[in-house]
Amino acid sequence: MSTVIRIGTSTCGQAAGAESVVSAVNAYVDRRQVPVTVQRTGCLGACHNEPLVEVTDNDVAVLYGPVSPERVSLVLDRHFGGGGGRWVDPSWILSRRPDHDDFPFLARQTKVTTRLCGVIDPMSLDDYLANGGYMALRDALRMPPEKVIAAVKDSRLRGRGGAGFSTGTKWEITRRQPASPKFLICNADEGDPGAFMNRTMIEGDPHRVLEGMLIAAWAIGASKGYLYVRAEYPLAVKALRNAIRQAAEYGVTGKNILGSGLDFEFVIKEGAGAFVCGEETALMHSIEGQRGTPSMRPPYPSVAGLWGYPTNINNVESFASIPSILLHGPAWFAALGTEQSGGTKAFALTGAVRASGLVEVPLGTPLRTLVEEIGGGCKSDRPVKAVQLGGPSGGCVPAELLDTRIDYEDLRRTGAIMGSGGMVVVDDTTCMVDFARYFLTFTQDESCGKCVPCRVGTRKMLGILTKICHGQGTHQDLERLTRLCETVRTGSLCGLGTTAPNPVLTTMRYFEREYVAHVDAGLCPAGICSMRPGTSTRAA
Amino acid sequence: MISLTLDGRAIQVQPGTNVLQAALSNGIHIPHLCHHPDLRPSGGCRLCMVEIGGRPNPAAACGLLAEEGMAVTTQSERLTEMRREIIDLFVSDHPLRCVTCDKNGVCALQRYAYDYGISETSFDFELSRTLYQDDNPMFVRDHQYCILCGRCTRVCDEIVGANAIEISGRGFVSHVATPFDWAMSDSTCVFCGNCVQVCPVAALMPRGRIGMGREWELEHVRTICGYCGVGCGIDYAAKDGKILYAQGFPEAVVNGEFLCVKGRFGWDFVGNPERLTRPLVRRDLAHRLGLIDDPFSLPEESVFTSRIGVENFVPVDWETAVDIVAGQLLGTVEAHGPDAVAGLTSARCTNEDNYLFQKLMRVGIGTNNIDHCARL
Amino acid sequence: MHRRVSANPIRRFNYQGDPLAEPAPADLMEILDRYRGQRDALITVLEEIQARYSFLPAKHLQYASRELGFPLAQVYGISTFYNVFKLTAPGRYQVRVCKGTACHVNRSSAMLDHLSEKLGIHEDETTADGLFTLQTVACMGACSLAPVMVINDQTYGRMTPDLSWEILSELVATERPRV
Repeated sequence: MSTVIRIGTSTCGQAAGAESVVSAVNAYVDRRQVPVTVQRTGCLGACHNEPLVEVTDNDVAVLYGPVSPERVSLVLDRHFGGGGGRWVDPSWILSRRPDHDDFPFLARQTKVTTRLCGVIDPMSLDDYLANGGYMALRDALRMPPEKVIAAVKDSRLRGRGGAGFSTGTKWEITRRQPASPKFLICNADEGDPGAFMNRTMIEGDPHRVLEGMLIAAWAIGASKGYLYVRAEYPLAVKALRNAIRQAAEYGVTGKNILGSGLDFEFVIKEGAGAFVCGEETALMHSIEGQRGTPSMRPPYPSVAGLWGYPTNINNVESFASIPSILLHGPAWFAALGTEQSGGTKAFALTGAVRASGLVEVPLGTPLRTLVEEIGGGCKSDRPVKAVQLGGPSGGCVPAELLDTRIDYEDLRRTGAIMGSGGMVVVDDTTCMVDFARYFLTFTQDESCGKCVPCRVGTRKMLGILTKICHGQGTHQDLERLTRLCETVRTGSLCGLGTTAPNPVLTTMRYFEREYVAHVDAGLCPAGICSMRPGTSTRAA
Repeated sequence: MISLTLDGRAIQVQPGTNVLQAALSNGIHIPHLCHHPDLRPSGGCRLCMVEIGGRPNPAAACGLLAEEGMAVTTQSERLTEMRREIIDLFVSDHPLRCVTCDKNGVCALQRYAYDYGISETSFDFELSRTLYQDDNPMFVRDHQYCILCGRCTRVCDEIVGANAIEISGRGFVSHVATPFDWAMSDSTCVFCGNCVQVCPVAALMPRGRIGMGREWELEHVRTICGYCGVGCGIDYAAKDGKILYAQGFPEAVVNGEFLCVKGRFGWDFVGNPERLTRPLVRRDLAHRLGLIDDPFSLPEESVFTSRIGVENFVPVDWETAVDIVAGQLLGTVEAHGPDAVAGLTSARCTNEDNYLFQKLMRVGIGTNNIDHCARL
Repeated sequence: MHRRVSANPIRRFNYQGDPLAEPAPADLMEILDRYRGQRDALITVLEEIQARYSFLPAKHLQYASRELGFPLAQVYGISTFYNVFKLTAPGRYQVRVCKGTACHVNRSSAMLDHLSEKLGIHEDETTADGLFTLQTVACMGACSLAPVMVINDQTYGRMTPDLSWEILSELVATERPRV
């Protein structure tokens, strides 16, 4: 086996300067005439150490990071001689083993959907095929669709967009609809600020998503699949376009796929920047070329979706889980998780944590494992104050509850939600009132304006929070805020509105003292809020 | 038929009926602003939320299909509290100037604010839209009263098909707009005014109605539109004998609430001083028939105010006029045969009038020379 | 009475001829022709128009409406709904500061304030010389490198207020060479 140099060039890698690292590596290889393959891969997940460079040679694999262009020749000299054995900072070496078991950030993870991210070249179909690609599809196409659905149901896979509805059941409902044609939508409109699971998966291993969709198409009887990708993800779109073209050449899209009689085509739809389009009915309106406002359910998309036809919408991660379920069997997948939900869940671990990046763990893992073992605690060495899950729709779990298992029901009990996988760790320099206000600013900005509780209610919530942050809040305001949260939660038309109060409700529940300090003493315990009207809250 | 209970009352409805329609048609009023029976449900106002037995959260009745055995509660403490909050939110972005508002008395938001005892908002009042558009002679759009229920955009899209307006922008600052906020006359608007008809508040008002009187002072007269053969029902609202505006009414068999531009705005001829109110006979003929002595003297009171040639006509009573016409017709038939006479009637006449006219021509005169402008 | 009809005379409709009498520019027609008859294509068409012209010119929206048969009101409603679409020409460099959670926690707002002060413009404004448009973006998905700034398609991670201005200063230097 020849030597391969892998460089992570996802959006996160590029933001850290991976392109100049690639140039530096190529220059080095040209200069030294070393027989190596330089491979651009997706993201291994260890974004905090970007740019990542991995040198694999026979059974040796050394992972370096962060590697700036200046460090390239130092690092590569270790493998190809020369340079007189100059000193390489040991902290740059993240792992010396092919399975990365000596790298705590990766060692504690169980990678299923992101197994090949950062390992293969996302632009290469051969890489995917060499790693078992499209094997699951071959298996599925030999099974009757009902059996595929049964397998997905047995795997206890639940919607990874955050709602947690059984994926197999959803497929079954769509399959049972008499209307035809049926549509498939892959929701990659990852709008939560602080979330990048879908981006990493698509940029790192696009074929896996396509394979998952093709299996779903077979199971449901769908003929057309839309991939609705966020506008801010140009690299993901590029990877998908390439993958779809390759899939067509390989014969897994188009007419009579692999002789099964299944006809299926992919269409990429780029979103145009609206958070509400993550909501399924709004997303469908957006695909139809309308304003992306939600509509009432029922009818659910499974019954009457795109242009009134049965439509199955799943998240990227749900689709990416499908090939593994069929390859390794539903029992294997179910056993990974908890009693109610099988498999793994990817999280975008960010914020004050030391090691941030994309993390995939089995469901049922305690939050503490992610924050402390994988994330390595706060980089400020200060105590963790809370973990915010699910972005603007989610809630804060306080440090006391870090032993909560990652599971749909367990998390809901804390007032937070599983969400799509955004996980922001904050230390005690964060003001929770300001934090709640931040999320409300976002939701208020992204409210589509169709229903009143969300359009006006979130604005009033934001107004009250701003008053509190400016030291003008009263106890009546707190009481008013609580009541308003209830109205917005129960009264809103779609998920954006009904979940908008979550950041406020959870911070009020767990950090009430901070709210009271703002109101009573005119003090921001974390020292973040300016406590003066008309000033920017974050007086950096 | 589907059986369900509404506030404990057993009712039966057709399959496909939503809970709001089921309630309204059974005399149970559930508050609603964005719902209109002729438009697709929107679900934006959130006032029609009801509780369903066995479900944890309330649901909007307008988007909820009636199901067998469903137990619906339309009034409860929780729902009242929620509706109060929602109305409170509405009026935090809607001036409560009901005292001088032309919609006073027929405004849906006012009605619910009254029902739920909301006299002012408990939130900070903040107007999101302040535009005042009076760029056309038909209607005025005053954005500060708009509650974004979307009825106007839906009627324009679903019923009229003009697609002149759409909600533009997003969230709190969104507003109903023509493309690029152009004047209505530069858009594809056909000025049918059905948006004015369905507006539940004072955001869209007929121009001629503004400042002309309060709703309860107006007299309503229902009639059939005389413009064409469709026979739309129109309700004229008048004060002191002067029409202020025309509107459709849901009971109208042919058109429901919807009218065209002529029916809704084309009534100003009614009070026009130049309108003919009495039969007139040409002066030379009147002299020949001995109705006047002096063919050159002017009448004491002029029937016209401005038209040139006033002096060429003499006002007569109806009996005289009919006698003259009948006499002239008979004379022509006797002298030249019935086919020397032809009749042309108008779409402005009722169907019954037109029927009688052709009868007159065929039986009375004895000719088939009859035609009608609407035939073209 | 409070709401008199204003004294403005009603604008008489003055027919000025067909505003779209000129044929659409060839490069616009090329985009429109590719999507003719596709009812799900409107947003994609607008995205392509914006990619080509860097914003959505009003006239081009009118052409798109006429050629593809979408009501102009719908086209306008969509153009104003989505964040991506801009109806005015942006600067040569679109500077977008990420407002995502991770960036917020890492004080991206300080960077925004700093750039706003240095450039002398507010959010969504363009400098007088047409060089820079300052915008914010909900999240770029590069949260591990927070705070993040994006200039056109280039992402810059681990920013500080000073560092961000340094990058912009370099652009200024290349664009406005000292005489």
